[in-house]
Amino acid sequence: MQFVISLVLVLAAASVAGAGPLDHPGAMKALNCSACHGFAGQSIADTMPSLAGVWPEYFKKAIADYASGKRPSTEMEPYAKQVMQFGVDDYAAYFGSLKREPAKMPVDGAAAGRGRAAAVQCAGCHGPEGQGDRAKLVPALAGQPPGYLKSQMTLFKQDRRSPGDANLKALKAMMQGLPDSTIEDLAAYYSSLR
Amino acid sequence: MRGMGRREFLRTSGVGLGVGLLGGGCATAMKGDFAPKTSRRVVVVGGGWGGATAAKYVRLGDPAIEVILLEPNRQFVSCPFSNLVLSGVRTLDSITFDYASLRRHGVRLIHEAASAVDPAARRVRVGEGYLEYDRVVVAPGVEFQWEQVEGLAQNQDKVLHAWKAGPQTQALAEQIRAMPDGGVFVLTIPPAAYRCPPGPYERACQVAWYLKQSKPRSKLVILDANQNIISKTALFRAAWREYPNIDYRASNKVVKVDPGAREVTTDFGDKVKYDVVNLIPPQRAGTIAVQADLVGADKRWCEVNHVTFESVKAPNVHVVGDSTIGLPVPKSGNVANAMGKVAAMAIVHQLNGKQPPELAPGNTCYSWVNDREAIAVVNTYRIENGKVVQIEQKLTPGQSIAVAQNSLGWARSIWNDVIG
Ligand SMILES: Cc1cc2nc3c(=O)[nH]c(=O)nc-3n(C[C@H](O)[C@H](O)[C@H](O)COP(=O)(O)OP(=O)(O)OC[C@H]3O[C@@H](n4cnc5c(N)ncnc54)[C@H](O)[C@@H]3O)c2cc1C
Ligand code: HEC
Ligand code: HEC
Repeated sequence: MQFVISLVLVLAAASVAGAGPLDHPGAMKALNCSACHGFAGQSIADTMPSLAGVWPEYFKKAIADYASGKRPSTEMEPYAKQVMQFGVDDYAAYFGSLKREPAKMPVDGAAAGRGRAAAVQCAGCHGPEGQGDRAKLVPALAGQPPGYLKSQMTLFKQDRRSPGDANLKALKAMMQGLPDSTIEDLAAYYSSLR
Repeated sequence: MRGMGRREFLRTSGVGLGVGLLGGGCATAMKGDFAPKTSRRVVVVGGGWGGATAAKYVRLGDPAIEVILLEPNRQFVSCPFSNLVLSGVRTLDSITFDYASLRRHGVRLIHEAASAVDPAARRVRVGEGYLEYDRVVVAPGVEFQWEQVEGLAQNQDKVLHAWKAGPQTQALAEQIRAMPDGGVFVLTIPPAAYRCPPGPYERACQVAWYLKQSKPRSKLVILDANQNIISKTALFRAAWREYPNIDYRASNKVVKVDPGAREVTTDFGDKVKYDVVNLIPPQRAGTIAVQADLVGADKRWCEVNHVTFESVKAPNVHVVGDSTIGLPVPKSGNVANAMGKVAAMAIVHQLNGKQPPELAPGNTCYSWVNDREAIAVVNTYRIENGKVVQIEQKLTPGQSIAVAQNSLGWARSIWNDVIG
């Protein structure tokens, strides 16, 4: 209870002008992110992930991986360093507090249907609804843009996301067994989940 | 163009009622104090990348603040991606947007130019009338220094810059199409600082790509006033290996143009003949910023506080976008957008009697090197002792389709951030 009260006080102190979309302590710091990830982390672009609804623990891991160069990205390495500079906890809490609006990019219903069948092998880690596993740092896939999901699976398959990471061996081996068409089906399926 | 989320729309749409009164921007009605101030008010001069963003984000930060945006153009045409119109890879239509969504945020739009800013009286002059303000954001972009190139001022209709996206972009595209195979296209680049450092080199790629496909006997001569390619140098050099039709000449500043003789002259007196010329003139801050005496001793650019974007020369006046100088940032749309947000947050805090937060911009400049591949440079910044300082600059390892796809994602998202 005490936690809840102090949280409310923090929010009230940070509020400039009353309840608005920018009143969370992380909201103003995160303003640069909307140039690619959409306002309040709701992506409207196929290649850009939504940040709204990302588990805070996974968010922090992703930022650390980009900043160290472990997960290579020209765009994200400098931005991850900026996030570290300004305090990653505020960003993680902000995006984690937002409910993800599912991606609005059209997906092929038949592909999503095939993806549902193929996703059986993923559910053990990513959950039956693609909601991820907060404690195990497994990200939620539901409602992410299909282009982003596809590109990340392809990067895993080619060992170009966090190359050589021992913890991701099983995941990458699984991706290597999937034809590109199945990767596309899985992307369509997880993107279509609400 | 998609707007903001539904929740935002519902939250702000009611506040925008009554906007229609001002929306028409009818000049005859604008006499005296034609829209008396009833609450705290921010006037924004210029609805481009910096100004439109600032206007929208003041509303998002505090919907009780009234925001009036002055912008003579009824459509927003994006300079980013306009080089692809020259090569025919994109249409002008695909980079043209209206201002309707800004009204949904409760921004009051007047499609007129400001004719003066008076910091002492806190007024912006429009036509025969004026608007009072608590704070004004001046974001007029760049103006061309026509007088720096002999023969340019009187031939603006023939010697195109296409450095403000719009009718000139279309006209230059048509000139390239009409050029005979075997013709010479001359592109001239002004000395830095100018809007979008990599822009001319991206343009060179697009023109060279088009010529290679459609007019294989033609040549692109680049006369660059700078000593070398000033941005993404190695990446552009690599891209140009595919374009033997490019003849790049560094340290060649163009000082004269003669459309009759179809010839430009450099500061060494060299004359270069052309069939089509694209002369990008030297630049300074938008005229209104010069007239309001917000510029430094060089009469070109405006120095600002790095945290609030307040002019160092006038109180309650903020300057954002290409008109500014002194930050270690390029003059880009992405930076103008970031500055607009930082300035908006500062203003919201100041008008609520609070200390402005220390926020810093970020920048990504994508350049398309052919019809499907792009390169990029990314910069992020922090604040140190009240000044913007770079954290890191990173370049893509090479050109790729993936980078081009990301640039499309960036464009869609940032256009929505500016005017969606
Ligand atoms: C070919 C080209 C390609 C580019 N590519 C990129 C890119 O890929 N990425 C990127 O980030 N940037 C790019 N840029 C740069 C980018 O377009 C500019 O940096 C950006 O437009 C700057 O924003 P601004 O708000 O300062 O000016 P602008 O966007 O030019 O807006 C200024 C506005 O002010 C208005 N105005 C002027 N005077 C007045 C007045 N007196 N009253 C009212 N309104 C007034 C004008 O009509 C205009 O709409 C490119 C530029 C060019 C030319
Ligand atoms: C110029 C565009 C751009 C900007 C600005 C940007 N990002 Fe990203 N971001 C990307 C791209 C592209 C990716 C995917 C990169 C990859 O392939 O791993 C990404 C991925 C991410 C991810 C990984 C998501 C996941 O599910 O694994 C996080 C977290 C993230 N960005 C946070 C941020 C934050 C926070 C900001 C603002 C400080 C920001 N980004 C600004 C382009 C951008
Ligand atoms: C062994 C557990 C495990 C299994 C099985 C698994 N994943 Fe994952 N997945 C992970 C983890 C952990 C990550 C985060 C990796 C990191 O930290 O970079 C991840 C990341 C991803 C991502 C990137 C998400 C993002 O936001 O960047 C996608 C897409 C993905 N998995 C899809 C799948 C699909 C599809 C399957 C089934 C074919 C699958 N995964 C099976 C554990 C698993």
